[in-house]
Amino acid sequence: MALRLETVSVNLEGHPLIAPFSLAVAPGEIVTLMGASGSGKSTLLSFIAGDLESPFTAAGNVRLDGVTLDGLPPEKRRIGRLFQDDLLFPHLTVAENLLFGMPRGPRRERLAKAEAALAEAELSGFGERPPNTLSGGQRARVALMRALVAEPHAMLLDEPFNKLDAALRQTMRSFVFEHIAARRIPCLMVTHDQGDVPASGRLLLLKDAMVTDA
Amino acid sequence: MNRLGAVPLALLWALPLLLSLALLVPTALDGAAWALALAHPQLWPALALSLATGGLSTLIALAISLLLLGGLPRSRVWHRLQGVAAAGLAIPHLAFAIGFAFLIMPSGLIARLLIGGDAPPQWVSVQDPWGVALTLALALKEVPFLLTAGFAVLSRGDAAVRIKAEAQAAASLGHAPGSAFLRIVLPPLLRELRWPLVIVFVYGATVVDMALVLGPTQPPTLAVVIWHALNNAEAGVNAMGLAMTLLLTAALALILAGVALILRLGRQAMHRLLTAGPSPLQTPRLLAALAGLVTVLTVSFALFILVLLSLAPRWPYPALLPPAVDLSAWASVPPATLWLSLLLSLAAAAVAVASAVLWFETHGARHDRWAIALALAALALPQLASAGGQYKLLLPLGLTGTLFGLFLAHLTPVAAYVLIVLAGPYRAFDRRYVAAARALAASKLSAWRRVKLPLLKAPLLTATAIGFAVSIAQFVPAQLIAAGRFSTLPMEAVTLASGGNRPLTAAFALALAVPPLLAFLAAALLGRPRWR
Repeated sequence: MALRLETVSVNLEGHPLIAPFSLAVAPGEIVTLMGASGSGKSTLLSFIAGDLESPFTAAGNVRLDGVTLDGLPPEKRRIGRLFQDDLLFPHLTVAENLLFGMPRGPRRERLAKAEAALAEAELSGFGERPPNTLSGGQRARVALMRALVAEPHAMLLDEPFNKLDAALRQTMRSFVFEHIAARRIPCLMVTHDQGDVPASGRLLLLKDAMVTDA
Repeated sequence: MNRLGAVPLALLWALPLLLSLALLVPTALDGAAWALALAHPQLWPALALSLATGGLSTLIALAISLLLLGGLPRSRVWHRLQGVAAAGLAIPHLAFAIGFAFLIMPSGLIARLLIGGDAPPQWVSVQDPWGVALTLALALKEVPFLLTAGFAVLSRGDAAVRIKAEAQAAASLGHAPGSAFLRIVLPPLLRELRWPLVIVFVYGATVVDMALVLGPTQPPTLAVVIWHALNNAEAGVNAMGLAMTLLLTAALALILAGVALILRLGRQAMHRLLTAGPSPLQTPRLLAALAGLVTVLTVSFALFILVLLSLAPRWPYPALLPPAVDLSAWASVPPATLWLSLLLSLAAAAVAVASAVLWFETHGARHDRWAIALALAALALPQLASAGGQYKLLLPLGLTGTLFGLFLAHLTPVAAYVLIVLAGPYRAFDRRYVAAARALAASKLSAWRRVKLPLLKAPLLTATAIGFAVSIAQFVPAQLIAAGRFSTLPMEAVTLASGGNRPLTAAFALALAVPPLLAFLAAALLGRPRWR
């Protein structure tokens, strides 16, 4: 599994937000793209995920496992995402949220997988609870597990720690990075917070529409 | 806080409504009335027809509305649809029913367009014995109502932003747009639509004016059987009608309770379906566009043919357009009837909005529960019941056949709608604006007039327009309380619809449809914000 961007650029009504650049993210690698808010880094993630909307346009090619994603709708790209908000569906229980994206199969196996994922997030026994009874940190962990049990081939993180309070942020960072690395998933994260960058990961800077190695 | 602020709403609306409903209790205990009702040969077939037309029309309207809400992209079409839905909402049911009848009757526009030939086809469309025409007309007419309610839910507060983000999350978890709508948007939406659906179902199963125009006759729907009984000169027959009303109400309550029970029991199975895993289900855009087109075309053609017919003293089959036009039908609409309807409705809307504002200003949001519950009860109960009770209340007070009694009869449903429509925007108003104005040395009244009123201008105008449209369409309470002394537009239109004077019927239906359309248009224009 690998994620490759080939001469990808992003424009807003004809003005370049991100000049053409290329990038390869290896399995289990976490690449961070840092830039100010409004610089177009979230728009880049939308383009990779396949739900870019006007007035933004983008060019270039995105390959996942060697296959081009051009023209594929978002739901067929097998790209998991974490957003600033956990976006747990409020009308489904915690376990049902996990089942939502899990590939189809015998119900018993799926329920066992959900239970295992909850145990991994140290949330055993929380399956039947409605999401709004969980703390912010617990919800964030469920959101990550929900993305992972969908068995994505790549992950996009859009400032996923931004809304957590400072004490939680550090534990959540290592929790997310460990799980993604353990599953050998290529991962691209955008943020404006220097503290989000994992110690071992690659860091790119987006400034004046140019993407450069830090 | 001033307690007296509740007085207008309580005296003019809540108290009469509660007393009217209480006066139905003696009927429930009236053995003779029940014996007559149960012995009536048409009772059970008429009840079955009522439940079938009401239930089916509700399901069809819901299906079309959900198709439109889920199947159309969030584009300009979606936003324009909100305006179209508001216009459809404004047209009174009766006016639409008359236009619909002129569309589908053997010599109607559809036959002229699709069949042709020398003579009209031999089909039974209007007043067909199965209630198909009534069901379809009800379904199409309720689509704007359910759509408007759905739009309100999907755009309330930050709902639009949240739904978009959730749809992105669902897509990243492998769900195509159709599946995401079904599994993420629909369950909470249906929950929010439960009261509008109850209102639509009860309305459809108990409607009188539309059923008189479009519904079957042998047997008619139970509402029509009841209607004839309530208008009978004999007190015993009146009591039988009220007993039948209670029976119909009980049947509706039983069905609704059954649906609620089934939904509760089926919850587990439903949630299994919701969490079965990723699905490639797409949104049925083509079907949605088709359903939207059929609805919009039917409603606009129903209005269009009213215009044509009202101008055509002679229109031989199979000509698509009348050979000549004149204004004689228009000249025959008596100004007294028109003015009575317009002024009554203006008064009812204005008084309802003023009383509601007075209530909101003098009572905290926690008291709203009672007012809203009573308003929902007023709308979710068959109008035959509340109006039948109202007649029993106003008769001994000498108020039947008086202008004030007629006004009260119109105010009951109007105030209920106005309260429900206004509560949301009024309670969501950020009070700090008024506090800021007071801090700038504005008096209480001046802060209200110069800050709060302009900021709440749009919802207040919309509520007034809705109140006006609801009022002008009133048939059942108006006819009962007018007691033959007054005549409003719907009463005349129903009488004419059963006669042969098509141009005059069309002119009356138009006189009924145009004022509320203008009211909505005026509210939309006057309520525009200074800038977006």
